[in-house]
Amino acid sequence: MSLMTMILKMSEGLGRTCAIFFLTLLFSLPLGMIVALLRMSKFKPVAAVTRFCITVLRGTPLMLQLLAVTYGPYYLFGANVVRNKLIPVVIAFSINYAAYFAEIYRGGIESIPVGQYEAAEVLGYTRTQTFQRIILPQVIKRIMPSITNEVVTLVKDTSMAFTVSYQEMFTIGKQIANSQTSFTPFVVAGVFYYVFNAVVDYVMGRVEKRLDYYR
Amino acid sequence: MDDKEKITTGGTPSILEIRALQKSFGPLSVLKDISLSVDRGNVVSIIGPSGSGKSTLLRCASFLETADGGDILFDGQYAMHDGVYASKAELKRFKTLFGLVFQNFNLFPHYSVLRNVTEAPILHGEDKEEVHERALGILKKMGLEGKEKSYPFQLSGGQQQRVAIARALAMRPEVLYFDEPTSALDPELTGEVLKVIRQLAEEKMTMVVVTHEMPFAKAVSNRVIFMDGGVIVEQGDPREVFDNPKEERTKQFLRVFER
Repeated sequence: MSLMTMILKMSEGLGRTCAIFFLTLLFSLPLGMIVALLRMSKFKPVAAVTRFCITVLRGTPLMLQLLAVTYGPYYLFGANVVRNKLIPVVIAFSINYAAYFAEIYRGGIESIPVGQYEAAEVLGYTRTQTFQRIILPQVIKRIMPSITNEVVTLVKDTSMAFTVSYQEMFTIGKQIANSQTSFTPFVVAGVFYYVFNAVVDYVMGRVEKRLDYYR
Repeated sequence: MDDKEKITTGGTPSILEIRALQKSFGPLSVLKDISLSVDRGNVVSIIGPSGSGKSTLLRCASFLETADGGDILFDGQYAMHDGVYASKAELKRFKTLFGLVFQNFNLFPHYSVLRNVTEAPILHGEDKEEVHERALGILKKMGLEGKEKSYPFQLSGGQQQRVAIARALAMRPEVLYFDEPTSALDPELTGEVLKVIRQLAEEKMTMVVVTHEMPFAKAVSNRVIFMDGGVIVEQGDPREVFDNPKEERTKQFLRVFER
């Protein structure tokens, strides 16, 4: 198989790789905020349960979580494994990344000086207004570098979908590598991820720059 | 309502009155039986050593701390009666009566100077144009003309504190609290902030100022309150308190500043 054929075949999985990437971000970024708020809940049991869930999600391999979400229903209830594996893959990724994002959000929210809340309170901002207008924008600026880190990791983590044989780029590459006894597909995959992350880096850099107007 | 109207409404009760206020942090009693009143158009300074409860008193009067007992009245109406706070809706209304200037300014760093000043009144449903114009007027008075588009980090500490004062004034409070407004500033910048407070005093703005600036307190205030250990040790006319203190503790405290 020529290099060109390999690249073309693997490109066919690129759409699925992107699907995992964008859908995971779409769900995990807001979900992470909900988890962060639950984690900071003044109602102790809620905070404790959330905290436990976060430790489980961060303390066990993502690969295991992928397998659990994809095949768990079969082993537990004898349910059929879904045809479109994108669904369990995105669910597993979203939940896992939400746990990481939640901790980043929490760190960001807790880093905002209490004086910001007090100033807003005295000026008559409601709690929602304070969070949306005063706290959140400052949090976003502070956590951008950490978010970029996670997004870059996510690009590479999409390759883990091969464990449930979801036909994304890396899974196809691995299949070609096996059938052709060639290492070349892995090199191609490496280049794909590198280019993808170069774009991510550029975009996130632009966002950070846009938030650079204040300190 | 302009400032002149405010002071001519004589006969009305004090804008702020506090009776037998108590506040503890755990086992530590920070305010013990504090009573004071602030009349319209007056400037009341609160002096005293660190940890005497001055800031806590101001924070209780602005609802940032929950007091444990006593009364807080605005304009003769109870915000807290015998340790029980009024309803949320009422407290919200009382909140519009005062403004607070913090030691650390607490400006919103992601907003321009103008937005820092205008956002709160606009959120309260005031007309945008009107608020804008008012804000520009106040900023000009604070000596901040041309700084409207700047961001807080681009300003000196003194300028930032003047923006904070402008932000509080834009809400048109009946009484303005200052919590050690110059303590985070170096001496050079302290002067410019004290100057605008003095200017407000001349315009008969009602103010309660917690400060360590003794000459300023003496010059500007109608009344001085000396606090120590959570109680008011002495209060009265600034000349009396400063030049002829009756209590030994007051004498001892003021002696430090004479050197």
